[in-house]
Order: sequence, then C-alpha cells, then structure tokens
Amino acid sequence: MNATISAPAFPTQLRRSLAADALKLKHTPALWLTLSSGALPVLLMGLTFFFKGQYLLKPGQNPWPAYLIQSWQTATGLLFPLFVVLLSSLVLHTENRALGWKHLYAQPLSRGAVFGSKLLVLLALNLLALLVYAALLLGSGWLLGLLRPELRFADFAAPLAVLPPLLLHTYVATLGIVALQYVASLWWRNFVAPVAAGMGCTIAALTLMRWEYIDWVPYAAPLRTLRAIEPKAGALHVAWTLPPATLLALGWCGVVLLIGYVLLGWRHEGARR
Amino acid sequence: MKTPSLLVETHDLTFGFGPRRVLQQLGLQVPAGSIYGFLGPNGAGKSTTLRLLLGLLPAPAGSVRLFGHDLSRHRLGLLARVGALIEMPSLYEHLSGRDNLEATRRLRGLPAARTAAVLATVGLAADAHRPVREYSLGMRQRLGLALALLPDPELLILDEPTNGLDPQGMADMRELLLALQQEHGKTILLSSHLIGEIERVATHVGVVQQGRLAFQGGVAELQRQQRGRARIVIDTEDAARCQLLLPAEFGAAALLGPGRLGLPYQSDEQLAYLAQQLVLAGQPLYGLHCQQPSLEQSFLQLTETAPAR
Repeated sequence: MNATISAPAFPTQLRRSLAADALKLKHTPALWLTLSSGALPVLLMGLTFFFKGQYLLKPGQNPWPAYLIQSWQTATGLLFPLFVVLLSSLVLHTENRALGWKHLYAQPLSRGAVFGSKLLVLLALNLLALLVYAALLLGSGWLLGLLRPELRFADFAAPLAVLPPLLLHTYVATLGIVALQYVASLWWRNFVAPVAAGMGCTIAALTLMRWEYIDWVPYAAPLRTLRAIEPKAGALHVAWTLPPATLLALGWCGVVLLIGYVLLGWRHEGARR
Repeated sequence: MKTPSLLVETHDLTFGFGPRRVLQQLGLQVPAGSIYGFLGPNGAGKSTTLRLLLGLLPAPAGSVRLFGHDLSRHRLGLLARVGALIEMPSLYEHLSGRDNLEATRRLRGLPAARTAAVLATVGLAADAHRPVREYSLGMRQRLGLALALLPDPELLILDEPTNGLDPQGMADMRELLLALQQEHGKTILLSSHLIGEIERVATHVGVVQQGRLAFQGGVAELQRQQRGRARIVIDTEDAARCQLLLPAEFGAAALLGPGRLGLPYQSDEQLAYLAQQLVLAGQPLYGLHCQQPSLEQSFLQLTETAPAR
C-alpha cells in the first residue's frame, strides 16, 4: 500500500475518537445527568428514613441492610433503566444536533472507531453514575447516623464489602439495555423515538415481572439483581457469580451490538444531517 | 504546457435514491491547483456528488478517484488529505469555537498549534472563547471553513461556503480562497448557486444539469465555446430608423432600446462594415462593441435546455 495514503491504525483511531468525544461531553446534559441522577432517589430515601425510619426498622436492628435493599430496589426497578435510556439518547443527540455525522464520517476514522468510541463513552458514564449513586447512598446513611442517631446507622459498619459485587451485578445487568438503546439511538438519530421506546420497554418489563421468562427481558435485568442479595444474620451477602438474568443481559449486549453494527453499515449520510 | 494531473476524477458515476436517478455517468475532472466551480440548479445533484467524493454515500456504479487513488480502496488514507464543508457546518453549539476545532483536531491527531492557526486564518481568534450558539450565521460559516482547513489539506471540498455571508463576508471568503489556491497551492472544489461568486474565483467550471455534466473545462474555454452566442451592440440616435434605412443590415436586428440595436456577432469585418454603413446613411454612431455572454448567461443557456425538476 502506498505510504502517502496509509490510514492510522484502529487503536489510534479509537484513541483519537475517544479524546474528541470526551471533549464533546463538556457542558452537556448527558454529563450533568450522570453526575446528578443518583441524587434524587437517595434524597427521597434519606428523607423517608429520616422522618419514618422508626417504622421501617426494628429496634436495635442494623439499619444498613434494609436501607441498602430498599434503595437498590427503587434504583434498579426504574432509575437505572430509565437513566440508561436517557443517557444513550443524550450522548448521541450531541451529534444529531450538531449535524455532526457527515463531518465525523468525512474524517479519516473507520465506522468501527466511531461506533466503539461512543459506546465506550456510554459505558464509562453508566459506570460513573453507578459509582456516584453508591457513594451518595453511603454518604446519606452516614448523614442519617449523625442526624438521627436513634436509627443506629453510626453504630453499625456500612456494608462496604457487598458493594463491589452488587455494583458488578447491576452494571452488567444494564448492558443489555445499553446495547439496545445505543443501537436504537444510532438508527433513529433523534432524541424522542428511542427514549419513548425505552420507557415503554421499561414499563412493560415491570409489568411482566412475574412472567416465567422474565430473565430474557433485558429491561428487567437490573431489578433481578436484587435476587443476588442474601441477608444472613442481619448482614448482607452478595455472591460474585452472575445469575442467569445478568448473564442473559450480557448476551443481549453482545448480540445486539453485533447485529446493530452490521445493520448500521447500511446507513449512509445521504440526507441533510 | 504540461497538463495538470487530476486530483478528483470520477468515471461514469451514477447514483439514485430508490427509483429516483440523481447522477448519471458523471465524469468529473478537477485539475490539481485549480479552483473548480461546480455549478448547477437546485436538485441537480451537486451535494450528492460531493458526498460521494467523500465516501459519505456509496457509489453503486462508476468510480471515484482522489489523488489518483481509488476512494473505495483507500478511503481513510485519502480523507486524511481532504478538508470538507458539506452544506451547513457541523458545529457543537454548547462548545466554544475553539473547542469545536479542538474536537476535530483530536479526531485527526493534529498538532495543537493548528487550532490557533486556522482561527487566525478565518478571523475568529477574538471570538474563539464564545459558545457557538452565540455565533452569527457568517461566523458559523467561517468556523465551518476553519474545520475544513484544520488538517492543512491538499484538497478542499466546499459546498456553498458563502451561504449566509454578507457582501463583505463574501468578499473576504473570495480573497481567502484565492490566497489558499495561489499562495498555498490548494486545490478547491467549490459548489455554489452564486454564479457571480464562482466567476470571480474559479479557474475551471463544471455545470451539472439533471445529474449529467452539461459542461466541464476552463472558464476561458467556456467563454470560447459561448463565443458563437456573442452579439454586437450598437448605440445610435434612433434604432428603429436605422432598421428602416438599412433593412439588409439591421432588418433582423433586435431592438434593445430606443437607441440600441443588437445582432449576432460573425466577425470583426462585420463590425467594421456595419459602422461604415451607419455613417454613410448619416446616422450618428455613439457606441459599437461585441458583447460576450457572462458566465451566468452561459450557465443559464446550458441549464435551460432541460426542464427543471
């Protein structure tokens, strides 16, 4: 191949694309959503325990397991799926609004680098949001220990050991939704359609929660991670082994990304965008 | 003189959206170092052609060669040598002008100094810190051009770059394009519906009509080709009286005004003969000249042959 027309290697393209995508996040709703989405449910749960904690906890009981399970239930049922739905649309809408796709594909970057870079940004923001949520949850528990000492948050150690496996379960469980929403947002190239579809799927998954095949529904997978939490003698235990619903979510992720990448290859920059 | 090599070359390029044919066997040839004005009425296929040249659309039939290489085989390597502005500039409104350039600079792995250099070139250095949502249409267009110039490309593909610019902005853009070609040796493929703008900067012209090239060549060649359409314009006292007095010479002439006659140009001898006959007939001769069709008239003549879609 002629040296004068050689293209940069794929890792170089991916690195460059990632550097550009990171810059584009500056001042975006996607970044603000990532950093702040965990605050509201934590605030609501904190206020619930602050005002009604005496009814939710037995006297002398370690409050951390109940606090964590109830918070995680709210988060995995609605917050995380809807967060992923919104986030994927917001990340890609940055290009839609800027009419950026034609510019992007006129650069010496392969389709794979563009696809991979934005997916990595989405995965990183998803992880960051989960970590922020977990940190806020712990912080609110410690704050409750200060403000309502009778709830005894300060008398027991926070269940720090269960958080890494629980975060792993939850993160992997969201990957099916990430893949579906990512491909949908790339295909539709607008904000409303993938968000509407994602919200519909989340609500449908919640209503189908008693269905025998619910493990196959990726939008239900985050809530199914609650089954991995085992209260033992007033403490919590979460195994590292991923349950079937989480593994199926991972499978969905791989298959949807593969098929999506192939299908998106048929999409071209012919329209005015 | 050595024929310049072709930086852009298409062979039998054909494209359609579904059953609608947009381009038919287009054979574009853009010489190195030229400013190639790509003209055509709306819907003629200009933007589609430029998208095909960048690989944004797949060419189902025909081929595209850039710098002598097949685009379908070396797309990424070739795009590294091209800067493009297609229709509206792609700008992130939440970012500053500088950050918009930075994003593309990072995408291409260019030296950091390029951002400041192109900001200075397009005259946006003072406004680089402002968010793009505060930019006027003209500033956006200049930022779009800066994005295209960022890689210091050998070939610039610009689709309607003067869109939204005021007369001063258009003059500045014209000056900039001429400087890029003459001082920096850039080849510029420029589409525009503003024929007057193309006429002032282009060295070569391609006219596309209904997806086919109606003309392609140097501006001088186009004017030569149109010489058959040149006409003699005569200014006198009373044009109608001249037609009556000299029916053999002016009977078929067109009356352009009370004191003006026009008739097809044949030769310089014809000019001398007409002047002589008018003077012999006692008619005053205030003016006599051969009028060449402008590029605009040539363009209209080339494109009026087929009905507009």
